[in-house]
Amino acid sequence: MLLEIINLWVRYEGAEVLKGISCAVEEGTIVTFLGSNGAGKSTTLRAICGLKAPDSGEIWFNGERIDGNLPQNIIKQGIGHVLEGRALFPYMTVLENLKVGAFLQKDREQVDKNLEEIFANFPILKERQQQQARTLSGGEQQMLTIARALMGSPKLLLLDEPSLGLSPLMVRQIGKIVQDIHQRGVSVLLVEQNARLALGVAQRCYVFETGSVVLCGETKELMGNDQVRKAYLGL
Amino acid sequence: MGGTYILVGLGLTLILSIMSILQFAHGEIYMLGAFTVYFLCVMHGVNLYLAVFISMLSTAVIGLILERVLLRPLKGLFLSYVCATTGLSLMLQTGVVLAFSKSTKQLPSLWSGAFNVFGIMLSRERFVAIVIALILTLALYLFLKQTKYGLAMTASAQNREGALMQGINPNIMSAMVVAIGSGLAAVGGALGGSIFNLDPYMGGLAFMKGITLIVIGGLGSLPGAVVGGLILGISESLFSLFFGSQMGVVIPLLLVIAFLIFKQKGLFGHD
Repeated sequence: MLLEIINLWVRYEGAEVLKGISCAVEEGTIVTFLGSNGAGKSTTLRAICGLKAPDSGEIWFNGERIDGNLPQNIIKQGIGHVLEGRALFPYMTVLENLKVGAFLQKDREQVDKNLEEIFANFPILKERQQQQARTLSGGEQQMLTIARALMGSPKLLLLDEPSLGLSPLMVRQIGKIVQDIHQRGVSVLLVEQNARLALGVAQRCYVFETGSVVLCGETKELMGNDQVRKAYLGL
Repeated sequence: MGGTYILVGLGLTLILSIMSILQFAHGEIYMLGAFTVYFLCVMHGVNLYLAVFISMLSTAVIGLILERVLLRPLKGLFLSYVCATTGLSLMLQTGVVLAFSKSTKQLPSLWSGAFNVFGIMLSRERFVAIVIALILTLALYLFLKQTKYGLAMTASAQNREGALMQGINPNIMSAMVVAIGSGLAAVGGALGGSIFNLDPYMGGLAFMKGITLIVIGGLGSLPGAVVGGLILGISESLFSLFFGSQMGVVIPLLLVIAFLIFKQKGLFGHD
């Protein structure tokens, strides 16, 4: 397993946000978390990368236990996190944002190679590389956030609500981007409100409800599950 | 005077935007820089410019220590932090009084004499002061724009979590920003001490000027700090010339009130 979470509990000011969830991401797969607002999906991602220290439980990444580590050390292990709400550096240019994304890369050639690859995949970013990030459209900003995370050559990419606030056309494009990333050998953990998008790309799915995992399995099986169809796909 | 204000303001604004704290002892760091130069140059005969350079480096090291032993442990504890830095400023003042006595002192002139520009006399030392301030600002700008750690610092100031998720160590950023800010303030102190006098309490006024300049120029903005410092310096001299030195101090403060009411972001500030 690339990522394994065992019995994770997280409390915010006494309130239990995660009540002992367990889940795993196998290398080379796309896994998605479904569930309504406040079900604990984003909190799980924040716990993985050290932004929120878990109260108990274990998180293993690539054979090493990472819970309790500082964010910078967890990122160093090969995790890229695309935060909800994009978290760009608004007054820096597109190119500068990407350069900061390569902060941990020691190898200059690798940085140039990543940059070239990103510009090939996101031509709009190449075109706008000298523009400040805040002047980009919502979809372009989301692309930049994903591209910035890719500059660090992660093994696992955490994506928190990448389709939030985007037009349907853009949402479809984000789905394609996620598949592209996956094809390049990066494993993806996708948190989405848009179940259609998430189930369309993921191989495995966990359904969250008020801090617990209530359902999990292969997406193909879950698509046939009446409960999931009703609750998330509106069928 | 604009030059020394710029150097104090740059450090304050950088520390404030990256660490979200106001460094209440920053004025005393400025004072310490000036006394280091006094100690080296007047008491031990070191060349003035060399003394300023040494003071910049040694004060930057003091900044590193300050960040490690005082600011970092108190991160997030706002009230303790305010008490600790205010206390530190009192300690530094008293320490300097004990070491050098309370009397005002003088540094040698950076460049004595004056230029005669079309009949207007411009003091040469003030010219040197502003040139040094602008060179250091430019160096800082290039550092922030062109180097990996400079970009990381800018990024941390603009989005803390975003920077964390690129693997940037926030402690290294804080250490760097306090060290750089302290080094710049030390040069500011030396320039100020050379143009005017130095005494252990000179930091209080410098700190206030630094805040004024940030309000005018806009938080976290380097061009803002430069323009704010120039506006502050020039308006002070002009108003002193026409309305007397008392008004020269008062009017920039009125300017601050006006900015706080009508343009909170300052001239170049963003959110």
